[in-house]
Amino acid sequence: MALLKVEQLTKSFEGKEVVKDLNFELETGKCVALLGPNGAGKTTTLRMLAGFSRPSRGTIQFDEDTLSKDIRQYIGYLPQFPVFHNWMTGKEFLVYAGQLSHMSKKEAEEHADRLLQRVGLSDAKKKRIGKYSGGMKQRLGIAQAMIHNPTLIMLDEPVSSLDPIGRREVLNLLTELKEEATILFSTHILRDAEEISDEILLLKDGQLIEHGSLDELSQLHHTARLELDFRSVPEDVREVLSHFDFIEHVNVQKNTVILMTAEGDRARKTILKLAAEKDWDLTRFELVRSNLEDLFMKAVNR
Amino acid sequence: MLEELMQINWSLIAPIIVIQLILMIVAIIDLVRIEETNGPKWLWAIIIVFVNVLGPILYFILGRRQ
Amino acid sequence: MQWSVIFKKELLENWRNFKWIWVPIVFILFGIMDPITTYYMPKIIDAVGGLPEGAQINIPQPPPEQALLMSINEYSSLGVLMIVLITMGIISGEKKSGVAELILSRPVSFTNYITAKWASSILLILVSFITGMMFSWYYVNLLFGDLSLSQVFGAIFIYGFWLILVVSITMLISTLFKIPGLVGFISVLIVIFIHMLTSIFRHILTYSPANLSSYVSAYLYTGEMTADMWSTIFVTLIGIVLLLTSSIFILRNREI
Repeated sequence: MALLKVEQLTKSFEGKEVVKDLNFELETGKCVALLGPNGAGKTTTLRMLAGFSRPSRGTIQFDEDTLSKDIRQYIGYLPQFPVFHNWMTGKEFLVYAGQLSHMSKKEAEEHADRLLQRVGLSDAKKKRIGKYSGGMKQRLGIAQAMIHNPTLIMLDEPVSSLDPIGRREVLNLLTELKEEATILFSTHILRDAEEISDEILLLKDGQLIEHGSLDELSQLHHTARLELDFRSVPEDVREVLSHFDFIEHVNVQKNTVILMTAEGDRARKTILKLAAEKDWDLTRFELVRSNLEDLFMKAVNR
Repeated sequence: MLEELMQINWSLIAPIIVIQLILMIVAIIDLVRIEETNGPKWLWAIIIVFVNVLGPILYFILGRRQ
Repeated sequence: MQWSVIFKKELLENWRNFKWIWVPIVFILFGIMDPITTYYMPKIIDAVGGLPEGAQINIPQPPPEQALLMSINEYSSLGVLMIVLITMGIISGEKKSGVAELILSRPVSFTNYITAKWASSILLILVSFITGMMFSWYYVNLLFGDLSLSQVFGAIFIYGFWLILVVSITMLISTLFKIPGLVGFISVLIVIFIHMLTSIFRHILTYSPANLSSYVSAYLYTGEMTADMWSTIFVTLIGIVLLLTSSIFILRNREI
């Protein structure tokens, strides 16, 4: 079931299209990464979905149950650089946020306590936010995005400004959250997307260039990577392998030869046959599924 | 000459002095508690203490960084 | 419900940043400054001296009504400036800092947001103004003669509408621009402009809100509320409502 359906979503600033004709659906319960280099239009897209910015063209449609209501009730949003009321304590801010989302004070307080515990801010809940560190603010930001039990949580670059420890904490938190809500988060770091997302929306220059689950995407590109280790690399290996048109790329390193191919099975058979014929002293042969990094680089540099 | 000034009714002036003191104390408390000010804190401390009445008011309007 | 949440948050904020202490104090100082200096002026001149032998200082002491009007005059200059300064960041500050992103990503009604913030500012300003006028009244009574409390409240009632209008103007400008300093500058210009227009076209603009201060003076001397005063108050009220609705409209239709 689609929670959110986006059609022809376009945003222009001063005649320049920053986001162009996005079409995608978000399935309930999925964790989706909006991946792309800086300036690809990730923030603009999230801001349109959160209702801050009006699309120049196109539609954003939520699940029909929510059609007549204020969709902001169902969204938890964390901007890239969240700013709080620094004079409030962490708990006060969460309760305020909850009440703004139509929770009763009691409800909001109870939920705030639970969330603060969960994001590891229990000890700091009575401290003024002005005294929080960057990582603490980010965790408070996630807590405020969850305070009203939203069905969709949108996070703009939730980990990019954090140090490795803070990053790890937030990623773990997001992994837990996947059980409770649909998550859409933007990132320019592939590893983060790979680690926690079920699906990826790959954005470049405002356009959606890939969309799908990790498995689907690598099948679609079905680029396989073959790694061959030799005791000593035969001199003619590059020449021999380049004869086959289904082998796209040959890279010879010290004792390793790396091949990229669109037809993994065929390449495997061919090479094993060759190895037998030519009596190559192979020490390792591995058919590696194309990892997302290759895909990312390929897509972004296209 | 000074005698004339001394005749000023101090019961009238006292409330003003009290008010000024409250203003100054509140500004100092706030200055101590606040994380950051526009401009150096010590400068604001001097302004609050030595610029009569106007000092604390200026601090509250210009010095506090929200 | 949501309205009162925002309203209470604003009150708490104004308490934590001490506005509830220093703004009333500033208004008290504005209110008592002129009556006191006027009263002591002859003595101060005499004491500081320099007057030639035999010269008579003869500064007549003003009647109590006029002494109270001096306070109103302070409020219409320094007081208005102060109001603009403390109101200018009310919307623009939250937008500029970025807090507005977190607040308005929630199902906050723009009407609630604007009116609750407006109401909390008005409460602060009116409480400060009334406190200031009470101090002024106390000193006027002590130094210049009797003035009834009901007269003072009449003056507060009439002039209060002008101050509410100033808050509303600043609030509208604050939804239009992000930089608080710019908001303050434009708001002050607008207030000055209203004053200028009113004095140039005095014969046509009888009901201009800028006339409220002269109506205060008329009221203090005659003790009567004329039809013209009521009409001016009515016009001011319409102005306030228009400013508030425009603020809501602009906030709703602007991208944050």
